[in-house]
Amino acid sequence: MNQPDVIAKLQSIFDDLFLEPVHLTPTLSAKDVPEWDSLTHISLLLAVEKAFGIRFRVGEVEAARNVGEFADLIAKRISER
Amino acid sequence: MHDQDLKALLLNGDDRFWSGLAAATRQASGFEELFSLSSLRRKARARRLPRPGAVPDQLRLALLGGYSLYPFRELLEHLCETEGFPCELWAGDFDNYISEITDTTSGLYAFAPQVVLLLPSEHRCKYPGKLTDPREMQQAEAGRAVDSLLELARALHDQTHAEVIMTNFMLPARHDLGSYRSRTLGSDWSFRKWVNLELGLKAPSYLHLCDLEFLAHRLGGYRAHDARGWFESKQPGSPPLLAELAREAAHLIGSLRRAPKKVLVLDLDNTLWGGVIADDGLEGIEIGDTSPRGEAFKAFQKYIASLKDRGTLLAVCSKNDHAKAAQAFEEHPEMVLRLDDFVSFKANWQPKSENLRQMAAELNLGLDSFAFVDDNPAEIEIVRQFAPEVATILLGPDPSEYVTQLQDCRLFEPRNITREDVERTAAYQSESKRQALFASVTDMDAYLQSLAMEATISEFKPMDVQRLSQLINKSNQFNLTTRRRTEGDILALLSNPAYIGFSVRLKDRFGDHGLISIVIGKKAGNTMEIDTWLMSCRVLKRQVEDEVLNELARLAKARGCTELLGVYLPTAKNEMVRDFYENIGFTLTAEDKNSREYKLALEKFRPLPTRIKITRRAYEST
Repeated sequence: MNQPDVIAKLQSIFDDLFLEPVHLTPTLSAKDVPEWDSLTHISLLLAVEKAFGIRFRVGEVEAARNVGEFADLIAKRISER
Repeated sequence: MHDQDLKALLLNGDDRFWSGLAAATRQASGFEELFSLSSLRRKARARRLPRPGAVPDQLRLALLGGYSLYPFRELLEHLCETEGFPCELWAGDFDNYISEITDTTSGLYAFAPQVVLLLPSEHRCKYPGKLTDPREMQQAEAGRAVDSLLELARALHDQTHAEVIMTNFMLPARHDLGSYRSRTLGSDWSFRKWVNLELGLKAPSYLHLCDLEFLAHRLGGYRAHDARGWFESKQPGSPPLLAELAREAAHLIGSLRRAPKKVLVLDLDNTLWGGVIADDGLEGIEIGDTSPRGEAFKAFQKYIASLKDRGTLLAVCSKNDHAKAAQAFEEHPEMVLRLDDFVSFKANWQPKSENLRQMAAELNLGLDSFAFVDDNPAEIEIVRQFAPEVATILLGPDPSEYVTQLQDCRLFEPRNITREDVERTAAYQSESKRQALFASVTDMDAYLQSLAMEATISEFKPMDVQRLSQLINKSNQFNLTTRRRTEGDILALLSNPAYIGFSVRLKDRFGDHGLISIVIGKKAGNTMEIDTWLMSCRVLKRQVEDEVLNELARLAKARGCTELLGVYLPTAKNEMVRDFYENIGFTLTAEDKNSREYKLALEKFRPLPTRIKITRRAYEST
């Protein structure tokens, strides 16, 4: 899975989770979306781990600065499964 | 209702969102589900979606502990709100609870919480020494850990008068130490088990334990831990554990505010036995140890019987032929429950909601004291619609799960320890100490001396009339005349100068026995007739009767009498005191089959020596 594939799948997770539609782009980050607060972020991480069948390692999600980097991290964890 | 339906209601501004949210919350199992429902609730609030019904008062709830309380607090707030007791939350800083509690100027106390939930840090619940240290050292350390937790709870309670809820500690779920873990109190496994146990047994009544050890056990210890969650954000446990913990905490907070159910109402066919009694007959129904299904129904009845032993009232509400239903209980040899186990037995063709209402009226209880169990969804639905105050339990398709369904329904949990329980235990303990002491000293006099008894003797006072009347009317064995008196009779006596009356209270080093003896005397010329002399049998052979006689003699002399007249009126129950007057030094002067009279000359009488210290005497101001 490459970044665009991951973002496409992420988009459906966001659609489920967010009340207002969010259009995902690689440069989008949490601060651009008012609804993307720390509460929603926790739900998001749990949903992503479940949907992609991966488990993030300690501290690494924090390091991702935007949707693109987050998608790359997901792709990396998928490739190591 | 699914999240997507709830979202649609929310986006349409439909206030049915709230009831849907509450229903979905009750159904939700895991963390994610609960959490997303909580997010929806927040969003609905942010959008100011109107809420039907009155707004309940907010409960002031403080959370503190050795963990990050976020996102736990979200779940707890959500559950409390959807259960109908919304909270105003105050959360302490991460791992700052000790100073928040000890510093009386902290924000915690400014918040003035009504309920405090404390999650002490498991990282502080460790044995600091070696695994091989002497057991006494390890045990003493565990005791100190417990005492310091109890001290925190006490400080919280003293400062705020809040109900305090405290979690205990999860046990490790890794193989570390192997089987050696249970051979020393120094391992986290044994140390925390010990602390949890002692904490539970020592907790005072204002302290409610939230049993994290149990919750993790139920969930699976392995699933309850989350090392990553600790390192990243200081979580107390895994997401599923947080969900369980929030549910339990909300349940505890709720149960401080609502009573447990008093009556368990049961359907019959396919609930208490397999099959239909009216069709299958006594021989045809499944109950008892002859088949797996029969065993399951019998186990269910046994569990219900155990609820009855705990104090739950049982009742039957069944669409059935009354005679046939009753016959099953009277004649089936495998039946555990019997007709006299039920406070109400309704087997008829009325709607069950009607039967339940009648039952409530007959038992003089509110419908909200009832829980109703049935295997038929249609019956459950009728009750839900027409007697919505009744809690309902729909049994699943497999009778082997009936017991567990009731065990998990959470409607019949005993309240936290009441003051009476504590007192009963204390009374029992001091009685057994007293017995042990009695066994350890062979010399009666030394025993009595060691009890350090103190008695106060008081003339009848208007304030005591109720207690006096109670004892006068229930005392049977050590009661010389068994004359009963109403409160009015006693009041009349108080103002009659011919009578004297006094009562005795006794305490010793093990406890206070309260009011234990009553005497009424009537002066006629120079004779003081003992109209009433009774004593609680709990204090037999403790020399109380000797002191009573001393007091009687003293009072009679002071009133110019020269002799005491004792009367014994035999009853079916006072055989114990048949020879009492004789044994204590009186002389028999008259006897017929209905009474005996004894006299004691006061001139020669010397007070009997006893080991009781009299701290006050009758008709002497204190």
